[in-house]
Amino acid sequence: MKQPILKITDLSYSYDNHEKILKDVNLDIFEREKIAVLGANGSGKSTFFLNINGVLIHETGDIYYRDTKIDKKNRNELRKRVGIVFQDADNQIIASTVLAEVSFGPMNLKLSKEKVKEQVYEALDYMNLIGFEERPPHYLSGGEKKRVSIADIIAMKPEVIIFDEPTASLDPLNQQMLEEVLKKLEKEGKTVLISTHDVDFAYRWAERILVFSKGEIIADAPPDEIFQNDEIIKAANLKRPVLLDIYEMLVNKKFLKAENSYPKTIDELYGLLSKSN
Amino acid sequence: MRKHPRGYSIDYYAYLSPLRMWNASFKVLLSVSILLICIIADNIYVSAAIILGMGYLTVRKGNVHFQDYLALLRVPLAFIILGSLPIGVSISKHATGDYFMNFHYFYFYVTSESILTAVRVIVKAFGAISGMYMLTLSTPVNDIIMVLCKSHVPKLITELMSMIYRYIFILMDVQYRIRNSAESRLGYRDFKTACFTFGNSMSSLLIISLKKAGMYYDAMEARCYEGEMHFLKEDKPVETRQILMGALFIIIIILIKLFTEMEEGIVV
Repeated sequence: MKQPILKITDLSYSYDNHEKILKDVNLDIFEREKIAVLGANGSGKSTFFLNINGVLIHETGDIYYRDTKIDKKNRNELRKRVGIVFQDADNQIIASTVLAEVSFGPMNLKLSKEKVKEQVYEALDYMNLIGFEERPPHYLSGGEKKRVSIADIIAMKPEVIIFDEPTASLDPLNQQMLEEVLKKLEKEGKTVLISTHDVDFAYRWAERILVFSKGEIIADAPPDEIFQNDEIIKAANLKRPVLLDIYEMLVNKKFLKAENSYPKTIDELYGLLSKSN
Repeated sequence: MRKHPRGYSIDYYAYLSPLRMWNASFKVLLSVSILLICIIADNIYVSAAIILGMGYLTVRKGNVHFQDYLALLRVPLAFIILGSLPIGVSISKHATGDYFMNFHYFYFYVTSESILTAVRVIVKAFGAISGMYMLTLSTPVNDIIMVLCKSHVPKLITELMSMIYRYIFILMDVQYRIRNSAESRLGYRDFKTACFTFGNSMSSLLIISLKKAGMYYDAMEARCYEGEMHFLKEDKPVETRQILMGALFIIIIILIKLFTEMEEGIVV
């Protein structure tokens, strides 16, 4: 059996020892997985991310990175391996130029100056930010800021990258840019977790979907299964992806034969339609 | 329509300035030494030469629009004129001085000498300011912070400076949005409402900034922050030509000082 890259057992967390934000979360995350995290606002997604990155300290339960158990002393190990791209780039960008900003993570990793420079420029190139090095963040557009905040994390070369609602507040062009970046990360064998409200995106991109509701994971399955389950959709305030609805309509109206695999993109649906004719 | 606040435009000029490509330490050194020379020399010709020289550098080489440069100088101008009024104008119970104004109980009077002193002070202050403006209009804050770091200013101060600088723009942006949304709901329709709305917007700004500070800290910790902020910094190389020109300018103003004072000595 494959070994999980992150193993989370019975994780609970509360901000004020009063109400639990996370309740007994159990999860194995494997290398190269593409996981979408769905759930209503305030269902504990962001808190969960901060926990598995080592920023927040879980009250009960354990987190293992490969075989190492994470405690207070080696929390930084976890932070090195797991990077978070925060939802609002303005809450993440701290330096006053793009170059300084992207170098903040690698500098904290205590790499040599040459190595830092190399990784920073690599990340800038990756996010198409060459030429922006000297630009102060307040003269960047929203999409550019997002790119900087992604470059921040890529420069640290983590194994797991978490995106907290990356598609929110991005225009369609920048969303496309984001999906291209995700494809590149996939090729490089990174493990990616994305929290999102965009069910169509989750359906299209993810291999595995986690559904959070009131601090618990109420479903953990491949996308087709999740979106077939009306109970989960209702419990987590989700809606079905449009493509899935269309596909089922076409099957019901006998335009298509029911198959085992569901089409994930418009192109795939088109392929099925042309095949059946 | 409101425009960007003035603070914004200075920052923007610094960012756009072609002089940004100059070595920051060199610019700081040049402007500080010019400031010192201007004050120590205490010579109206030296001050005038500095005003012209620095003005030329800022407007022509730094691509600052002349009109904007004057507008930016207007702010200190008001202070300087107010500050030098008492030097030029004195009060007396008797009619005295070269010119005076009768206020029945007392007289405002000026003498040619006092006017000259006031003018000297004004020109000197302007010389010093134009030296500093050359720096601020051509050097973004992060470059200045880098120079401070190099000159071993305590880390606490430089880190605070860079965070405050970054934060000012975030808060201004938030405030701008709060103001717009309040204005669209008639929050500033008359003076009383405006006062009320302004107070409310300030308190929500405080709460937002506290919340943002928390999120900021999380984001820093997520990137292995351990109490000290380190950034990659790269200074631009100094060009020999710039050093020569800088040195030449300083030599010229020192010569002006020596020359004019020698003449005065002969006359007296």
